[in-house]
Parts: sequence; C-alpha cells; structure tokens
Amino acid sequence: MKARIEAIREEVTKCIADGATIVVLSDRGVSKTMACIPALLAVSAVHHHLIRGKDRMKCGLVVETGDAREVHHFCLLSAYGAGAMNPYLAFDTLHQMQREGYLPADLPADKIEKNFIKAVGKGLLKVASKMGISTLQSYRGAQIFEAVGLSRDFVDEYFTRTASRIQGVGLETIAEEMLKMHEHAFPRTKVPETLELDVGGQYAWRRKGEAHLFNPETIAKLQLSTRLNSREEFKRFCDLIDHQERQLLTLRGLLEFKKSANAVPLEEVEPASEIVKRFATGAMSYGSISKEAHETLAVAMNRIGGKSNTGEGGEDPIRYQLDPNGDNRNSAIKQVASGRFGVTSNYLVHAQELQIKMAQGAKPGEGGQLPGHKIDKEIGRIRHSTPGVGLISPPPHHDIYSIEDLAQLIHDLKNANHHARVSVKLVAEVGVGTVAAGVSKGKSDVVLISGYDGGTGASPLTSIKHAGIPWELGLAETHQVLVKNDLRGRIVVQTDGQLRTPRDIAIACLLGAEEWGIATAALVTVGCIMMRKCHLNTCPVGIATQDPALRAKFAGQPEHVVNYFFLVAEGLREIMASLGFRRINDMVGRVDKLDSRKAVDHWKAKGIDFSEMLHKPAVPPHIKTYCSESQDHGIEKSLDMTTLVPQCQPAIKQGKPVTLNLPIKSLNRTACTILSSEVTRHHGPAGLPEDTIQLNFTGTAGQSIGAFAVPGVTIRIEGDVNDYCGKGLSGGKIVVRPPRVSTFKAQDNIIAGNVVLYGATSGEVYLNGIAGERFCVRNSGAKAVVEGVGDHGCEYMTGGVAVILGETGRNFAAGMSGGIAYVLDRKGSFPTLVNKEMVELEQLTPADEKEVLRLVRRHAEFTGSELGTEVVENWDALKSKFVKVMPVDYKRALAEMLASEQKAENVAAGGKPAAKLAEVSRG
Amino acid sequence: MGDVKGFLKHGRKHHGNQPPEERVRHYQEFMVLLPEAELRTQGARCMDCGIPFCHTGCPLGNIIPDWNDLVYRGQWREALDRLHSTNNFPEFTGRVCPAPCENACVLGINEDPVAIKEIEMTIADRGFSEGWIVPEPPLERTGKKVAVIGSGPAGLAAAQQLNRAGHTVTVYERADRPGGLLMYGIPDFKLEKAKVQRRVKQMEAEGVTFRCNADVGGNVSAKKLKEEHDAVLICAGSTAPRDLPIPGRNLKGVYFAMEFLPQQNKRNQGDQLPAETSIMATGKDVIIIGGGDTGSDCTGTSNRHGAKSVTQFELLPQPPDLGYFPRAKDRPTHSPWPYWTMMLRTSSSHEEGCDRKFSILTKEFRGDEAGNLKSLVCCTIEWYQENGQQKFREVPGSEQEMPCQLALLAMGFVGPEKKGAIAELGLELDPRGNIKCDAEYRTTVPGVYAAGDARRGQSLVVWAIHEGREAARAVDKHLMGVTHLPSTHAGDFAAR
Repeated sequence: MKARIEAIREEVTKCIADGATIVVLSDRGVSKTMACIPALLAVSAVHHHLIRGKDRMKCGLVVETGDAREVHHFCLLSAYGAGAMNPYLAFDTLHQMQREGYLPADLPADKIEKNFIKAVGKGLLKVASKMGISTLQSYRGAQIFEAVGLSRDFVDEYFTRTASRIQGVGLETIAEEMLKMHEHAFPRTKVPETLELDVGGQYAWRRKGEAHLFNPETIAKLQLSTRLNSREEFKRFCDLIDHQERQLLTLRGLLEFKKSANAVPLEEVEPASEIVKRFATGAMSYGSISKEAHETLAVAMNRIGGKSNTGEGGEDPIRYQLDPNGDNRNSAIKQVASGRFGVTSNYLVHAQELQIKMAQGAKPGEGGQLPGHKIDKEIGRIRHSTPGVGLISPPPHHDIYSIEDLAQLIHDLKNANHHARVSVKLVAEVGVGTVAAGVSKGKSDVVLISGYDGGTGASPLTSIKHAGIPWELGLAETHQVLVKNDLRGRIVVQTDGQLRTPRDIAIACLLGAEEWGIATAALVTVGCIMMRKCHLNTCPVGIATQDPALRAKFAGQPEHVVNYFFLVAEGLREIMASLGFRRINDMVGRVDKLDSRKAVDHWKAKGIDFSEMLHKPAVPPHIKTYCSESQDHGIEKSLDMTTLVPQCQPAIKQGKPVTLNLPIKSLNRTACTILSSEVTRHHGPAGLPEDTIQLNFTGTAGQSIGAFAVPGVTIRIEGDVNDYCGKGLSGGKIVVRPPRVSTFKAQDNIIAGNVVLYGATSGEVYLNGIAGERFCVRNSGAKAVVEGVGDHGCEYMTGGVAVILGETGRNFAAGMSGGIAYVLDRKGSFPTLVNKEMVELEQLTPADEKEVLRLVRRHAEFTGSELGTEVVENWDALKSKFVKVMPVDYKRALAEMLASEQKAENVAAGGKPAAKLAEVSRG
Repeated sequence: MGDVKGFLKHGRKHHGNQPPEERVRHYQEFMVLLPEAELRTQGARCMDCGIPFCHTGCPLGNIIPDWNDLVYRGQWREALDRLHSTNNFPEFTGRVCPAPCENACVLGINEDPVAIKEIEMTIADRGFSEGWIVPEPPLERTGKKVAVIGSGPAGLAAAQQLNRAGHTVTVYERADRPGGLLMYGIPDFKLEKAKVQRRVKQMEAEGVTFRCNADVGGNVSAKKLKEEHDAVLICAGSTAPRDLPIPGRNLKGVYFAMEFLPQQNKRNQGDQLPAETSIMATGKDVIIIGGGDTGSDCTGTSNRHGAKSVTQFELLPQPPDLGYFPRAKDRPTHSPWPYWTMMLRTSSSHEEGCDRKFSILTKEFRGDEAGNLKSLVCCTIEWYQENGQQKFREVPGSEQEMPCQLALLAMGFVGPEKKGAIAELGLELDPRGNIKCDAEYRTTVPGVYAAGDARRGQSLVVWAIHEGREAARAVDKHLMGVTHLPSTHAGDFAAR
C-alpha cells in the first residue's frame, strides 16, 4: 500500500506539472485482485504531498469513493483536503434499496440522490457549526480532528499535524484490515450467508455486530445485582465489563494495576459511606427523563450524600421540601446551561453545586434539544417555556465568549448562592488542560472532564461515534496541567463518561479525578434498557418519556441506585487496599500505579504508547496534587456583603421597607445578587412586595448588575450599566437612566452593555437609552422597555415581552420560539432586520396596544424618558408604527392552550378569545 | 421500525387453536392462523430496541427486530433471507421452540411480548408456499468428505451448513426415516412430518446424502466411517433415558416415553405396527412420570388414543403460576427479566385434559398375576434446604395407590448412548456423561467432532440448530484453514 500511495503522489505531481487543475482520486476499480486504499488515507496523503511540494493551490482534489456514506466520512474527507466527493456506492445502495422496496417506488432516481446530498450537506453544516466554523472553505483542510490509536510516523506522513497522543497502528495494520474487508467482499468459498451484509451494530447493539459495553448480558447482570444487592452478582457484572474493556473497547481496558508490595488491610481503607459522597449522577434534565426517574435518582443520591444533577431543565420548587419519610428530591447539583431554562434565584439557592455546562461529552459543541412532544404543561412551566414548542439550547453561552466571561459567570453564580460550590463542565479534547487551568484561575471550585462515550440516547447520530475523545486522555492532560501550574490544590477534578465498575473508578482516580460521575449505569439500575429512543418519547420503561401511560411503567427504586453506588465503593475499597491506599486523596493522580506494558496483544493495539498519558509531572512536595484548599471568591469584600445585606436586614428578616442611596462603580460586579439570594432564602420565590428594597445607585455599574434579582428588589441606576445587566432576572425591577445632569439625548446613546436580561425568567427592566447586542437573549418571562438595541435582539427568546422604542440591529428574533417583541418602526426598515425563520410580523391587536401602552407609561414614569413620554403623548399617531414580532410556534401553542382551556371551562364564563389570548400570552 | 408507537396501539395476538375436543380427534397441527394483515400488525409491535435483548434470548442470535419490521412492511422475501441467515429451519423453531426470545423481549417488561415465534413460523411457511425456499447447492465442491451421525436438528443444521461450504456430506441415521427427534420425538400435532420431509428433500437436492437404517457403531463401523471421511461429526442426541428402578419396573405397561411416542409417529406415517409390541393408551388410566415437554407430548398422544384418564407427576414443587406472559415485576427474584423465568408452563396438551401433580414421588408399580401393570403407589413429598442443597422427604401418611394401566417414564435423558460409536471410537465423556469436546467442538479423537444434545446434554431444538451450525463452522475451519460459515457469536445469557 505504501508503494502505491507513493506512486499516486508522483502521478498527481506529474499531472499537475502537465497542467491538470482538477485531480480525481477514485476507488471504482476494486475487483477480486485489486483491493482499495481507504479514501481518506489517499486523499490526505495526496493533500499533504501537494502541500509539501507547494502544489496544493494548483489543483482541486475530488474523491470518488465507496467508503463515504455517513456525515462523518464526508467531514473527514473535507477536513483532509477533498474539495468534492462522489459517494457512488451510497447512491448505488439507495437505488438498490428502492428496488427492494425500502424506499418509495415512485421516488425519481435523481430525487433520491438529491435528498441524500442534501442530508449530507446539512450534516456537514451542522458539524462545522459545532466546531465554530461557518463556511465549507474554512472547514476544508482544517483537520479539526484528533486521532486515537494511530502511530506518530503514520500520522506525520499522511495526516501531518493531527494530534495523536497514544500512538498506535500504522500503514501495515490498516492494509491488513483492508485486506480482511476485501476478503469479505470476495470470499474464497461462496456460502449464501457470507454474502449477507454485516449487521453493523454501530448505532444499536446487534449480537454479531460491533461490541458495546452495555449489552443484554451486562445490563441484565447490573439490574439483577443491584436489585438483590448481591456482591457476588455485581462481581460478575464487573468481570463482564472489565473483561470486555480489555477487548479494545476503552483505553483504560489496556491498563493494568501494578502489583503493590505494601497492600493495606481492607478495614483500614476509608469507609464506603465516605467514598459514595464523591459520586454524582449525570446531568439528565427533567424533560429528557420523566419526573419519576429524575426524582428517584435525586432521592437515592441524597440518601448516600452524593449528588444528583438537575440537567438543564430547571426543577420544580416543590422538590425543595422534604418528603414525609425524610427523603429529599432536591437535586444537589443545579445545572446552568446555555439555555438557562428555569434558572431562577430560587433554583440557585437550593443547590449544593452550580454546574456550568460548557459542553457535553456525548455531543460537544451542541446544546441540549428537547422535542416539542416531550414538553407537556408541567415541563413548560418548570422551564418557563411553552408546552409543545421544542427547545434547543444554543451551542454557546451568550455570556461567555472568553475565559474572563466564564470567570464572570462563575462569580455571578457564586453570588447567587455563595454556599454552593461552582463547577464547570468541559469536554475531553486536546487542549482541555489549558482550558481547565483557566477554569481554575477563574475560581471554579470544580472542573468536570467529560468523556466522549457518555450516553445520551437522544444525541444526534453524527455526535454519537466520533465527537469528543475518551475521558482518560482529557483527564490525564487536565491533571498534569493543573499540577504543573500549581492550580490543582484549589480545584476538585471530576470525570465522567461511561464509568461503571470499581476498576473504572480506580483508574479515573489514579489519572487524577477525585470525584466521578455515573449516569448511564445509574439509569440502568432504575430500569433503563438503552432503547436509544429517548428522542421519541416512547421509552417503554417510563424513563425517557413524558407520556403518562409510559411513565406509569417506571419501576425503579432509589434502593437500587443506593445499592449500586455502595457496591462500586466496596469494590473500589478492595482495589485501594490492594494498591496500598487508605484514602482517596492519597490515590489521586498516582499514575505510577498504572502499568501499560501488557497493553494487549491484539493486532490493532500494536504500537500504543501511553507514556504521555501516564506522565507524572515532577513538582516539589508543597505543590498539591489533589484538592485541599478552597478558592478565594472575594465574596466578603463585595458591595452586597459589606453594605447591602447588612443594611437591608430589616427587609430580609421582617419585610420592612428599606431604601439606600449609594454610589456604584464598575468594580462592583454582580451587585445586588447576594442580597437577592438572601431574600429568596427568607421569603421563597415570591420574594417581597414590590419596591420593599429600593436601591438607588449613581455611577457606572459593573457587570451583571441585578443578576437573579428577585421580587421586592428595585434597582435604580443613574448613570449606566455594563454587560449582563439583569442576567437571570427573577422578578426584580431594574431602572437605568442617564445622570440627571447629563446633556446628551438619552435615546441616541448607549446606556447598557451587551446581553441584557440573558436567561431572565421574570421581572422588569426599563432602560432610558440604547442597549448593546443580544438584548433579551433567552429571556423567558421578563418584560423590558428599551430605546434601541444592537444586533441579535431577542435571540432564542421563549417568553416575556420586549418593547423597543428605537432602532434594532440585524438578525433580530433569531431562534425566537416564544414571547413577543414590539418594535416602534418609524422608518419602516425593521422587517429587513428580522430573521424570519421562526417568527412572523404582525400588527398590534387592541389587547397588544393596551399592554404596550402600559409598559411605555411605566417606562416614562420610572426613567423620565423623553422618548417614552413622547410615545405616550402621541400614542394614537404612533401605535400603528409598532410591529409585533410573534413566533409561529408560540402563536400556535397559545391558540391550542386557549382552545383546551375553553373546552375545559365549557365556555361557561364566555370570555372573549382575543382578550384571553392576550392574557395567556402575557402570563 | 415502521411505526414507533406500534406497541402502544396494538395488543399481542397470535394464532388460535381448534377446541380441545375437536383437536384430540386427529394428529394434525391444529392452529387457526391469523390473517396476514393482523400478523403484520404484530410486527409493528416490535420496538426496534437499541439493545434488542431478544438476540441474546435466542440461542441462534436471530436478528429479530429486522424481520419483524420487514413483515410489518410486507417484505416477506427479505424477511425470509434475514431469518435464514441465522436459522436453517425456522419452520421447526417457529412451532416447537419455547421462545426464549419472547421471554427476553423488552416489550415483555411491561406488556405481552412481541409474537416473535408466530412471525418466525409465518415467514418460513410463506417461504415454502411461495416457492422461495429452493435448493441452494454449493457453486464449487471442496472435495472433502464429512460424515454426520444423526439427523436430528443438530445433524441437519450441520449437514446443510457443511454442504453449503462445498463439502460432500453424508448423514447416517439409524432410524428408518431421517429427522431424528423431529421425526420420531415430537408428535405430529406439534410438528407435522411433511414439514420435516420437505427440508430433507431440499437438502438432498442440495447434494446431501442420507443413509437411513445406518446405526453407526452397530451395523455401520464408526472406525471405517472415520477412515473414509475427512471429518466425522456426531450429532446423535442425548437418547439414554433416565430410568426409575423401583419395584414393579418390569411389569408390562411401564414404558419409556421414547418407546411410546415414536410408535404413534410411525402409525401416522401409515406404518403397520405388530399388535404385540404396540403401546396404546386407549381406555387406560395413564400416568406420566416426569413433568417436562416429553411428558406433555405423552399427555397429548394419550388423549388422542382415548385414554380413560391422564395424570402427570412431577417430583419438583409446582412453580408459581404467572400466566403466559408475566411482567418483569411479577417474575421471581432469582429468575428476573430477561433471564428464563421459572414458572408454571401449561402446554396445549395440558389443556386437552390432564391432572398435573407436583411434589410427588413414585414408589412402586403393582401388577396382576399376568404381570400387567394395574396400579402404582406414590406419596407426596416436601422439599427443604440442607447445606445449600435441595432435598426432599416424604410427607408421612401421604402414601396412596392409584389405578394405572399404562405408566410412561418421561424423566429426562442422561446423555448419549455409551455403546455404539462412542465406545467404538473411544471418545472421552465429560463429567455429566456427554461427549467431551473443546470450544471448537473437537472430541478427544482427532477428526471427530460432536454437537447437539450428544455434546451439551438434553436441550432445545433451537440449541441443537445452534450447535450444528457452530460445529459445521469448526469443521470447515479445520478442513480448509479458514471458514466463511457464519457464527452466532457469544452473547447468550450465562446460566445463573
């Protein structure tokens, strides 16, 4: 194969010298005597050859191959140089499928190909967007991949400058594998069955197909052992898993524990009841999974002192009260993801840990997706969204574009609940160590390194197999970087991604994690049988469904989960004893206890080299290698702790009105948030009566003023405000106006930074001036009046009202699935600035007019706005200039809700539908 | 999966049966089949699980969700191909298999499982009725000769696979007709013999030679066979019955089930049996000792003979009666879903009239002066645990004498018969008395292989087919260096 690749390279060079401008690489000639070179290898080999010879710009590279059929294949071909691809075998297969009746007979042949190309194109676009790339030109040759299991020489030669950290096989093994496939295609003897296609089993387990760690045997054993609480059965489960792992299913499967000369007696190892506190379950939202499943996990984890995770779907406040039997359904970890669904002050104060999900191991670069049919009334209520309307979390957090922004969010959350630790969830990928160092410097208390094989049955197919890398690599890198930079001692490192057995946990610990997340296995103990139908709402065991009939079938018990974690902890203790560790903390990062020398005799494991992964940084003894101190969040020095909370005690304790007049400056970040959290702690989500606490600031407020401010807290700023004003607003009121002494025209000047009201759930904001970009992004309930906004206004909004009395930037209402915006469009230019993918532009109804006028009146009253006053005074002339931006789905859902409510009421009251619609839409 | 919500919309349906009083008047199959449309709807109940536990429940690893869906879509031909890719004889398993696949069906956790067995049978029958099942002789011959001893399901499966791999296969059967247990063990009313014969015909057309009345180790020399062939594969079954050595065992009227059952199958084939050796249940009080499938077959046959009464004894206590398709939550703790459920199973033969007694021990057969059985003495026992072992003792005063003119011993089989081929070839046995083999189905004598009940002990037809296929693969690999015959692959639920 090597010789042929060289020959191809020479041929291409010659062709170019002869003036060819397009080179086509083809594997059409496969025959009984001719096997093929993998298309990706051929393309990349030529691509890099041409780069080296400075010829790459002289020709286009086209590949004609039978290899490419999945989106990932096309991504790879493109990322390694192909400018065009012809997947002829995929087309042939589709035509055959039509002949065999798998596709409609009346579909024209070219339409089939067109559909396939369209699907692949969309997939490519989606993958590129996950990687933050907007055009195919930028994606081509971008090589945004990491190789796992390829030798350095091979990668250097053919996939130059691709990361490949554990080495592995080279050309010989790849050729060997190609010959095996060729033999399958052209068998020496013809047995009918051998002509049957391989059953595959990549995306769903098949007995003869690709091996999966969770399969009927292992699932059955895990369920049996945890129901019986049988160590013997659990041991069998672990043996099955650990044995399979050694069959090249995981990197950890290739590692062995080094025999220790100084084993310690089992009874000297710290007790299982302590170890289980280091376990967490995964971030699976209520919505993705049923109430029953979600609460079962929460109850179990609270019983053992571990942590369950809300996922990014909010949580019903009723769960903050203990059950009569003392069980606690409150999830210890409250996740804060890009969608900010249901992230209110009340939600945050009831957490022990606040987890910022930067990305998900199973689908890096993507936000969560919840299809509309899984969003019933209940889930809509908790997420502050509209039932029946699908929710897509945006890929990025709109308040994080840099590591400083992340530090700000960490600070915001620490203020929203300073008793909770803050955690940042990252995905294992090359370079994650650097990000983790930033996270530690940004004062996160915990960093979670999430591996690629973490499960979500609802992950898009393009993400399941090839996005992300094993946690082993990410974790090792993270631990090493943190230790080298003396940042490890003040941050807890957690890892997750298909951990199942004590052996898995022990290896995670030795590679540097002192806490561990287990999601899929925990779900299996409560009955999950990995249907991989989580996105269809048809889970037959009542877990990943909201269908009441199916939910009734849920049979999981917290006891089973408790049993599972204790069984794991007991098994871990045995390993600890054998390795000579009495405490988990002593074990963290002790890679010297891992042996990779035996690394398997499998033909495809040849050349694996773990030395980089098992490197132990040489640091002086005072450098901590596990978390032993806490971060300094500077909370004590904040305006809230020094001034606001002490002075507002009468309001917090007794509900008495307090008014404070204070200066403010940009150093005062996240002002009023701790105060709000105290109000929530004492008064619950309803907070205090309007204007109980009145804070009158003068000056320039720092970032995130009024973040998660609650009812009863009114913040007035005379001056201006920085970015993230009113982030996560939870019922409070924020009024910003220029200094009374200023002479400029307020409506022409910027008064607030970017991303005002991001993730707000309720409350009001009045801005006497123009706000920056992404105004009201992901707002799901707050009402705001502003005199102009920058680009991307009302992006991803799902509820609430925005009244904009001036001009907007472009891309207004992108991804907006709920709520209403009213824009005063005096020039008539607004429609060109709207992203109409999900919204329609309408005229105001009488009910709308009433509401807009009410809000503008308040705006004028609170801010003294000249523009507001003008609009109120000229209402009759101006009202027709308002444009109503209405999301299509939202409108439909409101109409449906109205219809069903009216049905219920049986038109007894005889309320007017239009008025009712307006009422519902405001509610 | 054609309909993601199919399982929510449709309940389980499968074939009905003729009423017992009607069906006991003949020996034919008595199913009343579902109309095609309804069967296709049953296919829609399959949920196309991310992890189809049925694959593992089935010893053949049948790719069940795939053909369920094809049936739902009406693509019968493709369904047949997919089914045949793992199972040589779906028309047999579709009738006589206890369907461990359905026991492990994910839908079975909370609902009646998918009617997998019904769908399997229908696909196979349709294949025959449409003329899709035709001989598939190999394109080229390897020149290697293989002898298969025994033509039961293991032997047939092995022979078909080996032949398709191009070897020249001769099957040696000691009975007068091929089929082994399928021919002479299972009654016609469960599996009509024409269905066995049409498969044998297919295999003959493919080039397999059947030699009946050839008792290897008896009238055919095993050693000679070995010399004449490149490999010998023993699929002779587990045919040595467990005996009941109690007083009166030699009375006329006490027989092994496998003396009784084959006779009726012969009669159904039109054979005339001499009156003096003919065993009939007509007008007799029949007691069947042994509560398993063979006992159940004796029940059905006795009722068709017109027995006066039919009683079936089982030594073990009655397992819990959980209906036909118990939900996961109702299954016993130690045999939970998806493992094989320990529960009372009522066969169609039981429904035809049978008094089933559990925890019962037979102590003595009593006869008249002429040596004819006239009664038996039995007692009730109670089971208890001692040192982790199950033991039983008699319940005092429970002894009773029951009228009985025909007693049939259906107490299982202790392994292959030791005289004959095993003795002649000098094969080693395992501790359980079966032919000792390594993982590659090789016996202790080079060139001699064993599979099926002869190797694993008495088991199901579906296991026999599995064994035959896997052994064929092993033999092919041994003969050719490589094999292209498919394997089921590991992945069965390990015995708990």
